[in-house]
Amino acid sequence: MTEDWLSLQQKYWEQWTDMSRKALGAQAPATNPWENAMDQWWKAFAPASPDLSRTFMERMMEQGKMFFRMADTFTHNLPQFGGTTTDGWSSLSKTLNDMQQAFSGGQEQGDQALHKMMAFWEMPYDNWQRMMSSLSPIPGDLLRNMPHAPAGTMDKVLSAPGLGYTREEQSQYQDLIRRSLDYQKALQEYLSFFSGMGMKSIQRMRATLERMQASDKVIDSARGLYDTWVGCCEDVYAEDVQSAEYARIHGQLVNAQMALKQRMSIMVDESLGAMNMPTRNELRTLQDRVQQVRRENKALRKEMHSLHLQVAALSGQEPAASPGLRPALAQSAPAPVKRTVVRKKPVTPTPADQ
Amino acid sequence: MMLPIDIRPDKLSEEMLDFSRKLGQGMENLLNAERIDTGVTPREVVYQEDKLTLYRYQAPEGVKRNPVPLLIVYALVNRPYMTDIQEDRSTIKGLLATGQDVYLIDWGYPDHADRALTIDDYLNGYLDNCIDFIRESHGVDAINILGICQGGAFSLCYTAMHPEKVKNLVTMVTPVDFQTPDNLLSAWVQHMDVDLAVDTMGNIPGEILNWTFLSLKPFSLTGQKYVNMVDVLDDPDKIKNFLRMEKWIFDSPDQAGETFRQFIKDFYQKNALINGGLVIGDREVSLTHIGCPLLNIYALQDHLVPPDASRALAGRTGSKDYTELAFPGGHIGIYVSGKAQKEVTPAIGKWLNERS
Repeated sequence: MTEDWLSLQQKYWEQWTDMSRKALGAQAPATNPWENAMDQWWKAFAPASPDLSRTFMERMMEQGKMFFRMADTFTHNLPQFGGTTTDGWSSLSKTLNDMQQAFSGGQEQGDQALHKMMAFWEMPYDNWQRMMSSLSPIPGDLLRNMPHAPAGTMDKVLSAPGLGYTREEQSQYQDLIRRSLDYQKALQEYLSFFSGMGMKSIQRMRATLERMQASDKVIDSARGLYDTWVGCCEDVYAEDVQSAEYARIHGQLVNAQMALKQRMSIMVDESLGAMNMPTRNELRTLQDRVQQVRRENKALRKEMHSLHLQVAALSGQEPAASPGLRPALAQSAPAPVKRTVVRKKPVTPTPADQ
Repeated sequence: MMLPIDIRPDKLSEEMLDFSRKLGQGMENLLNAERIDTGVTPREVVYQEDKLTLYRYQAPEGVKRNPVPLLIVYALVNRPYMTDIQEDRSTIKGLLATGQDVYLIDWGYPDHADRALTIDDYLNGYLDNCIDFIRESHGVDAINILGICQGGAFSLCYTAMHPEKVKNLVTMVTPVDFQTPDNLLSAWVQHMDVDLAVDTMGNIPGEILNWTFLSLKPFSLTGQKYVNMVDVLDDPDKIKNFLRMEKWIFDSPDQAGETFRQFIKDFYQKNALINGGLVIGDREVSLTHIGCPLLNIYALQDHLVPPDASRALAGRTGSKDYTELAFPGGHIGIYVSGKAQKEVTPAIGKWLNERS
């Protein structure tokens, strides 16, 4: 069976190479020819594609590989050319068990495909990591894999009072480390919650397959299998993230990240101050004051305009243009864009108004 | 009894080839894709203030115009071109076809200089100025308002504070009760220290909002939808529409810090719009001050604003003319689906024409 499987993969590789008409496949791939074929093809095309298209295609490639990988994992041990349903179930069951082991980290030397498949559950974390990277000059999440120090020891070190001339600075660094550890702890709890959801999703998949078998339903395509798996994951996720526990973990993660970022910002601000540069804090003070002045100014202008209208109404005259008003523009084309200036253009009638 | 998985290797190989072929063709179509346009209906700029732009849309000829102009108040999160995203899927075009004289506020992209803008600045400043401008231009005392999502909640607040300036109010997928049990966004922000976030970040970056929205359905929204897209890669128009939507999803403006702080605290954490105690500027906001006719439209499969969050408006205002419209779709589908073009937009136009 395995040989048949490999020969089909080899056939696919050859067909693919032929179809793409690229001299990419001179050498046969050593492992997982399907993924290699897609990767090779993509390497040839990617440099020519614009950024938006490239990202878009990469996402499709990634997910495409995901669902063929799933099909591969689930089917290559099945007794498709003979064998009993019981054999089939035990094979499916073994795959599901292996998935669970891969998830719990118990399958250290196990199937790479399983590990990659369960990485599906890293997607939410990946989203978090991408988002945090976009807000930070340091890409990725350095703290995820930072070694854990025993809590007691670290607490002692961090609570030791600073001494001497640099007392305040020492205390700031202590606080920075404390906040880093808090974030790391919050992140671990977040990831552990997701790991739990991953395990549940495998159980959900097993239950779904059992239900399907009872009602004689069959998944006959990689896409069908992938969609079933996504459905199971999404269902488990939807149930669990609605819990009070997740709300707490989620809040804790965001708060810990913000606390860490805040400490870093304060330290950056202090360095800027030391170099006689404007700091974020100073800018904010100015922004607040400017906004307050603008608010008052706009309110006064509005009040004046209102008074003009009242005076005009009382005297039976046309209202005078307020400082914020501009005479009518005849053309119907969009007015040139200008910022920070209040400009008003009375509406010109169109044929439909007549 | 059959096994629930029966994927034959030869069929799988065929499926892979098909997938790869579609990707190959799609690549070509993607390379040929033109620039992504946003907003399709002709319009002109009629008023500007700071980063805000007020547009008036060009009415089609031969349609009898509703004498009361309609202002669309969109949310601060995401961009308002969703209401006019493509030629055959445009809420604005549909409203114009029913005779509405349509205006739309584009709030712009706040930067750090806008950090101190408050909800009071947005509603009693920018929005009030736009409404005064339209009222004066048309010589009317009150106009119609269509508030969308967060813009709907803001429109409710505005109408409660300035009832004399609003003739009819339509709310679309608008949260009113911010703490219904099925509201995931609400559950997630209850433990968030919003003061810490705003004090740290100043403005809240759009990337955080993107992450939050994608987290509602991470596997479908960041994985499955790209696989589904492979099926239509051979159609350049569908690719363009997909890319347009993709642009909209990730085109999230940063949120002015002080506005975000109050919105999360008062609306989400205190649920003050229905519990009371909501103060904007120096005015207390009470929904009971709203007396104008109200049309409340919600989507039955809305995962951002659950139907119950919108339905909570019933009986909470002083209006004697309250109508609800349930749409069988989602938060986005209510603007862009073919069904919405046929059902929702004409219903809004009819409702407004009957009351103007």
